[in-house]
Amino acid sequence: MSEFEKIMSSIFSYGTLQQMLRSATPVALAAIGGSMTEHAGIMNIGMDGMILMGAFFGVLGSFLFHTALAGVGMAIVMGVLVGLFFALLVVRYKSDEFIIGCALNTFAIGLTSYLSRSYFGTSGTKGNPALPMLRLAFLDKIPVLRIFNNQSLFVYLTWIIVIAAWIFVYKTPYGFWLRASGEKPDTLRTAGISPKRMKWIASILCGVLCALAGAHLSLGQLSGTFAENMSNSRGFIAFACVIFAAANPAKAYIAALMFGFFEAIGLRLQGYVSSDLTNTIPYIITIVMMVWVVVRKQAKKRAAKQET
Amino acid sequence: MRQKINTKYLISLLVSIFLAFLVGAVILLGTGHSPLTAYGAMVEGAFSSLRHVGDVLEYAMVLAICGLACDLGSRVGIFNVGGEGQLLIGAIVAAQIGVSLNGTTAWLVIPLAALGAIVSAGLYAMIPGVLKVKLKVNEVITTIMLNTVAASLCQFMAKGPWKSANKTMVSATENLNVRYWFDGLIPGSNLSTAIFAAAIIAFLVWYIMQKTTQGFEMKLTGQNPRFARFSGMRIDRKIIVCMVISGAMCGLVGMFRVYGSEHLFKPSVSNDYYFEGLMVAMIARYQPLATILLSLFFAVLKVGAEGLQQVGVPNQIYLIIQTVVIFFMAAQSGFLECLSVRLQKRKAAGADAHSGSAPREKGGEKV
Repeated sequence: MSEFEKIMSSIFSYGTLQQMLRSATPVALAAIGGSMTEHAGIMNIGMDGMILMGAFFGVLGSFLFHTALAGVGMAIVMGVLVGLFFALLVVRYKSDEFIIGCALNTFAIGLTSYLSRSYFGTSGTKGNPALPMLRLAFLDKIPVLRIFNNQSLFVYLTWIIVIAAWIFVYKTPYGFWLRASGEKPDTLRTAGISPKRMKWIASILCGVLCALAGAHLSLGQLSGTFAENMSNSRGFIAFACVIFAAANPAKAYIAALMFGFFEAIGLRLQGYVSSDLTNTIPYIITIVMMVWVVVRKQAKKRAAKQET
Repeated sequence: MRQKINTKYLISLLVSIFLAFLVGAVILLGTGHSPLTAYGAMVEGAFSSLRHVGDVLEYAMVLAICGLACDLGSRVGIFNVGGEGQLLIGAIVAAQIGVSLNGTTAWLVIPLAALGAIVSAGLYAMIPGVLKVKLKVNEVITTIMLNTVAASLCQFMAKGPWKSANKTMVSATENLNVRYWFDGLIPGSNLSTAIFAAAIIAFLVWYIMQKTTQGFEMKLTGQNPRFARFSGMRIDRKIIVCMVISGAMCGLVGMFRVYGSEHLFKPSVSNDYYFEGLMVAMIARYQPLATILLSLFFAVLKVGAEGLQQVGVPNQIYLIIQTVVIFFMAAQSGFLECLSVRLQKRKAAGADAHSGSAPREKGGEKV
């Protein structure tokens, strides 16, 4: 087997795909949350902080009550609170969402590191009760479905959430109002529905979904571990997914899968290329994607102009 | 957000800082620490010795230049969130120039290193600038992405091609020759002669932004780009130039850190320093003078927070206080508005009771 074949076979292995699902899940959850705020016309770059809070309070709940489910519950409660706080500042008091997002990220780093040192005495903790994994012996024998084995329950939960979010956004009146609150708030107001209320709902949903993403990261993917700044810019990757997917939850999931794929490749290719270099790929792709989206939009506009 | 600095601003700033310390006190109490001891330790940490005062000044320099870099971008309507990456790139390029030219005179090495930092970081900042102007790609996202890319690239260089021969350093470049170090001003502290260079840069930025036609045109570009375009300004070029200068300033900060205090490149040359500078700039409402003054204040907080560890309090409380100040500052105008709307409503309701026909056009919509 040549060196090239070896590399290729390690890229397209079950392990890679399994890893892809694993790393895509937190990003996907956050990206679905980000889709909500994006539809409501809020540019939410505070998702990284929201994930970090979810990760920390998930572990804290799991540590305090000795069960991972309590951790998830605590993360969700914090997610609601963070979402409420975000909406209070951005929607009610009309602060600049960019400033609040930036500050929220730093605030989350400060708060979680401070509390981690206060509760655990160190900058991180591990070995807390984690979420169960799905282990089915028969799945391992089926060729393709093998990648779905040995995954945290959140991986499957995310599928349900993706579908639910897609139906919510595109098939329910609430979703319709949500999209209108961002695109045509005045029209929505004329119809007798408060755009602000939809923005509040979007913020809370985003807070909860990001908190779930964080809880999955700390309780599922890393089985009960918290480390300082462990969200590690995933919130920004999720944001990139939102932009790429034009806030469509289903497309955002696919974008997240792509990011997961590149992260997984980086881990596989460590022997050949420095992982520092492969780590940059998703970020560069995001920029290229954004340029691509813009260029395509402009081309479409030009084509439409020529037709008329 | 680009409001004037006036008494109202000062009052709201002081109130915000006071409230932020109050929030900090509540968190300290909640985790079983005495706020008075903690804040006392903070003051002591910042002023107890000349060494600490030197550190305060050095950190204030970093914050101020980073904050001014952010001011410069926001003045023309572009947010440079990528200063962190530009700083790292500038730092590693400057460090490597110093290492590879080892042996030549400092008169050649230092200007070349500064030039290298300016050019590399400036070019790196040009990418998001050009994308923003030519394609309207959101610069906030591109700069954030480029931050991580820069951090990884620097890590790669410091671990691989430019790695120091010293085995104990995992990712760092070779140490700079002592001849190239900036002279320390206070023994033991990080403060070096770089602060004079920084002062000149800060003055130039303030002068250009506040006192020249260029500065006025920049303001116009940021506040009313259509008008600026129609009055014949080349706003695209202005935005790109400001972005490049902003990046170059961040790169220089990186060089100052390497030549002034670290004497080699390692990833901890900057610990999200740019983001802290950015927040200072936000609190200062992107006004250069206020940015510089607030940098001093937050540098005191940051260096003081190191003293907290001696009384057993995690020093991250500093980040909490700083961000809570921003939350209050960002919310206050909206909060006051809500309050005045409510007051007016009450007044209108009172008038209604009297005349029965008071206009109620200002009623805030229900949330």
